[in-house]
Amino acid sequence: MANATNTATILRAHAEQQFAEELAELAKVDSKRRPPNWQMSPWAVMTYIMGGKLDNGYEITPKYIGRTRLVEVAIATLATDRALLLLGVPGTAKTWLSEHLAAAISGDSSMLVQGTAGTAEESIRYGWNYAKLLSEGPSMGALVSSPVMRAMSDGKIVRVEELTRMPADVQDSLITILSEKTLPIPELNTQVQAVKGFNLIATANDRDRGVNDLSSALKRRFNTVVLPVPDTLDEEVDIVRRRVESLGKALELPAEAPAIEEVRRVVTIFRELRSGITADGKTKLKMPSGTMSTAEAISVITNGLALAAHFGDGNLLASDVAAGIIGAIVKDPVQDKVVMKEYLETVVKEREGWKDLYRSCREF
Amino acid sequence: MPAPATETTEKVHIFGIRHHGPGSARSLVHCFRELRPDCILIEGPPEGNDLVKYVTDPEMRPPVSMLLYAVDDPRISVYYPFAVFSPEWQAMTFGVMHNIPVRFMDLPQTNWLALDQMRRADRIEKAQAALEEQNELPDDGIVRDDLEDTVRDLAPAKQGNGSAPQPSSQLVLDLKAPVEVNKDLEKLHNKIRRDPLNFLAELAGYSDGERWWENLIEARRGREDVFVAIKEAMSHLRDDLPDDPHDEDYEPLREAHMRQTIRTAIKDGFERIAVVCGAWHAPALDKMPPAKEDAGLLKGLPKFKLAATWIPWTHGRLAYASGYGAGIPSPGWYHHLWTSEEQVAELWMSKVARLLREADLDASSAHIIETVRLAETLAALRGHPLPGLSEFSEATQSVLCFGNPVPMQVIHDKLIVGETLGEVPAGIPGTPLQKDLEREQKRLRMPAQAQEKILDLDLRNANDLSRSHLLHRLNILDIPWGKKERSAITTSTFHEYWRLLWKPEFSISLIEASIYGRTVLQAAETKAKEVADKSHQLSELSKLLDAVLLADMPDIVEHVIKCVENEAAVASDVKHLMEALPSLVQIARYGNVRKTDLGSVAKILDGLVSRVCVGLPPACAALDDTAAQEILVLINKVHSAISLIQTPDHDRQWQDALTRIAENSASNGLLAGRSTRLLFDWRKIDASEAARQFGLAVSTATEPALAASFVEGFLQGSGLVLIHDKELLSVADGWVQSLNDEAFTNILPLMRRAFSSYAPAERRQIGEAIVRSRGAGGLKRLGRGAEAPIDLSRADLVLPGIAKLLGVLPPAKSVQSNEISSKDPQGE
Repeated sequence: MANATNTATILRAHAEQQFAEELAELAKVDSKRRPPNWQMSPWAVMTYIMGGKLDNGYEITPKYIGRTRLVEVAIATLATDRALLLLGVPGTAKTWLSEHLAAAISGDSSMLVQGTAGTAEESIRYGWNYAKLLSEGPSMGALVSSPVMRAMSDGKIVRVEELTRMPADVQDSLITILSEKTLPIPELNTQVQAVKGFNLIATANDRDRGVNDLSSALKRRFNTVVLPVPDTLDEEVDIVRRRVESLGKALELPAEAPAIEEVRRVVTIFRELRSGITADGKTKLKMPSGTMSTAEAISVITNGLALAAHFGDGNLLASDVAAGIIGAIVKDPVQDKVVMKEYLETVVKEREGWKDLYRSCREF
Repeated sequence: MPAPATETTEKVHIFGIRHHGPGSARSLVHCFRELRPDCILIEGPPEGNDLVKYVTDPEMRPPVSMLLYAVDDPRISVYYPFAVFSPEWQAMTFGVMHNIPVRFMDLPQTNWLALDQMRRADRIEKAQAALEEQNELPDDGIVRDDLEDTVRDLAPAKQGNGSAPQPSSQLVLDLKAPVEVNKDLEKLHNKIRRDPLNFLAELAGYSDGERWWENLIEARRGREDVFVAIKEAMSHLRDDLPDDPHDEDYEPLREAHMRQTIRTAIKDGFERIAVVCGAWHAPALDKMPPAKEDAGLLKGLPKFKLAATWIPWTHGRLAYASGYGAGIPSPGWYHHLWTSEEQVAELWMSKVARLLREADLDASSAHIIETVRLAETLAALRGHPLPGLSEFSEATQSVLCFGNPVPMQVIHDKLIVGETLGEVPAGIPGTPLQKDLEREQKRLRMPAQAQEKILDLDLRNANDLSRSHLLHRLNILDIPWGKKERSAITTSTFHEYWRLLWKPEFSISLIEASIYGRTVLQAAETKAKEVADKSHQLSELSKLLDAVLLADMPDIVEHVIKCVENEAAVASDVKHLMEALPSLVQIARYGNVRKTDLGSVAKILDGLVSRVCVGLPPACAALDDTAAQEILVLINKVHSAISLIQTPDHDRQWQDALTRIAENSASNGLLAGRSTRLLFDWRKIDASEAARQFGLAVSTATEPALAASFVEGFLQGSGLVLIHDKELLSVADGWVQSLNDEAFTNILPLMRRAFSSYAPAERRQIGEAIVRSRGAGGLKRLGRGAEAPIDLSRADLVLPGIAKLLGVLPPAKSVQSNEISSKDPQGE
């Protein structure tokens, strides 16, 4: 790193800095074959992501809690020369996984292009240092390389966040890079050819895939792995509770930690509407147009906590979360209202011990 | 007994196979070619020996199933399904083609089923005795419920779909052993017993036993070696595993009979005897105990009269548990493994790609290459030399489907399981379903005739009712022997008219339908259940519900209701919901289905009513007239359904919905009018409120056409309201009078339509009421609507003549009646 900041003072360390010790330990025991330019073998990458105990007794913490098979597909994809596309609703750890994959495979997760509506082609290909360009004319010295270009020449993994938020023409500049593994620089009549080990991990939100849908030419260059929402209620309640607690600390909310029962109720509602079926699997439900993601459940609880802290007695009550729940469900004023009313009348109303929630929701 | 043991090893060659395993089948055929056996013994029911000759029939196309059933009660039966890749099938084919005697050596089902029935009866007796004992004791709810359940489970002597006798033995444990056994461990043991090779494969880290088998073969080269190795592995497994606590001694009996069959074959002088059995049994057939022991075991077993036949089977059904233990989850994949020895991956992926292209998804050759590469890398990452089905599926989802799981379902249904339907030759002895139908036809005195016949059934008569049930059930099975006709003569609900015509192709349909069950009732039930599971159309489901109600299949009614509920929950079209409501109300109200749990129906009804009430008001806005007419019919139906069950909660919600339709200015006029009227008839709003709303709807600010449709909706049905309610009448009357000529002409057809539904007497009374309310003075004004005022002086000219004809002479009156009828176009 050019600017080696002290990791203790920076707000958020890169994965390879934060878990440097684990990576080093893994490298010690890893004797399996490595693909060219990989820092460790695919098996070691797998262990790094999913956690486990090494032969020398060292404990690797799990980075991604979820299905092993998906991560296997992701790693196998990167081991072939196909690019990897991680899809999923917000809050399913796409960025988190891509960062750790890059850290483990290349030892460097910092080569990153953030996709936004304003991302220009320069950030994928290259730009010019205009002062130098004017004084020296076009030369490699006047060229400002993009993270993609650097990853290509170093044989590393580059990450592209929120690929579908980029304008379509910028997205398409990836096609040559992914299929020919080369980046032509016509101005200098030269090109940068990718070194072995180069690959690309893109993430995209599959709810607003419609924003700038990938062209089929580009789509074809990716292997897609869809990261699912947590499998079980308990798993999700656990994730929500942990995140709410750490967020609560960060926001310095004076409220009590939320009762696990209230969290469970909110998560149940989110899971039911997201999956379109009640938790007991007996009744089907209409699904709202919103994503109902874990991340939103977390924000409903945090909002409720803030309400309870500032306007209530600090205890999280049904009335504190009701507004948040309704806000999360009703994204489309017509359709979602029907969905919500049906849900209230057919599910919430009937459920034992949910009367308070039913009443609070009806008030809105 | 060392002497016979050596003799056995020389003459007998044991092949421990995996049931339905293409790898086993391939190795087996290979070994057979080298061994050239002169006798083949197969694990299977000896009753099927006569059926073996059909396997090479050109019309025989697997998957097919051997079906053994009790002659007296076809509900007692066992299936032995075979696919072309089943080792047993290949062994049979090999035998018939090379003219080698093929014999089945398992415990005869005649004994097995009889034993099972006997023990079952025994258990019922014991359970009932225990129940009675419990009754005398102070009430101990839990235990009693359990016992009652057990008795109920046991009582109908019919077995589950296609079950071998194993499942019933589960119940023994429930009764005998209150001690909690470690269920998971037991499950594992059961799994090992059912498919020990798959268990070994799982230990080796494979998701599928077949790929493991292939690797095994490739690693070992020699084919017979494999069977020796498997025998060894199995004997270790058998030593380590405890005896099956559920087994009830069937296992020793079966193996004893297998050994006895082997002994007979040796005695018959065969030199190279090939024994094909599940791997699990291989060690037991290797070590021969004294023949006396086995003979002793098999002595005095009860018997049962059985018949055997072939019936067509499907790949989908191979997935079910049946005669050969557990079903296989991926028959289509196995079929592929069997048919393509080389280039498994490339051929499979090409099939997948072709299927996806049919579904209009991009799947180019480049995609296939990438998918195969990813699958191979995945297999390497998991430490397997060859990719298996799970690697292919995951790679397909990632590369070809862009992570989308939906197309994977198509691949699963069409390729991995497959839709192949087997065929059996026509000359095969009849199936129990055919026999059952013949029996029913005889019992109900309804011979199958090739000429058309009309049947008038009076459903109050038990025999006729059974006939109707039978015809309805056959219709569910797509055997339209009878077509139900709408009667032109009478509308009574207890009569049904059927047009009967037996066509020869129904016999084939019957054979095909025998997949579903052994009796007409059972087959119809299974079929209806399958249709219900597949259907996602609410209207289709409510039709099916109707059909199963008419066919008197209470068990299925419940299932169909459940499906209706599920569909209703996601149905976005409120019309479909409304269509389903009346028939459900019928069930909830009359409970005409004996065993249906009315509580659950009521619950579903609650949900359905809520959904209709939430969804209907928005659906009534912005509709054209045709659509409005459709909804109008449905509103009327739902209204009568809801007033029929009279639940306060439903009433409240429905009233709420109607009020919202009536008050929403965007609602279609017809529907708003109808809603107002329904509320009024229902006494939810009083006359003055109704008059107010009527007035609002027809006030001058409203388009006359819109107002007219409101009036049409309001007035439809019965005109009594206008006769008895002066206020309403005067509002309506006032509105008509306020119209100018053009507007009146425009709305006239609508009014005519509304009034046409009234009885003539009603129309006359309305006219008279108007006359009364006006007095003679008002009537002059009534004439305004008629284009040309009547020229009284000219009319007077004809009066004397008419007066003469009628024999009366009040000139003023004749003018009046003339004018009223011009206003009331219907006349009298």
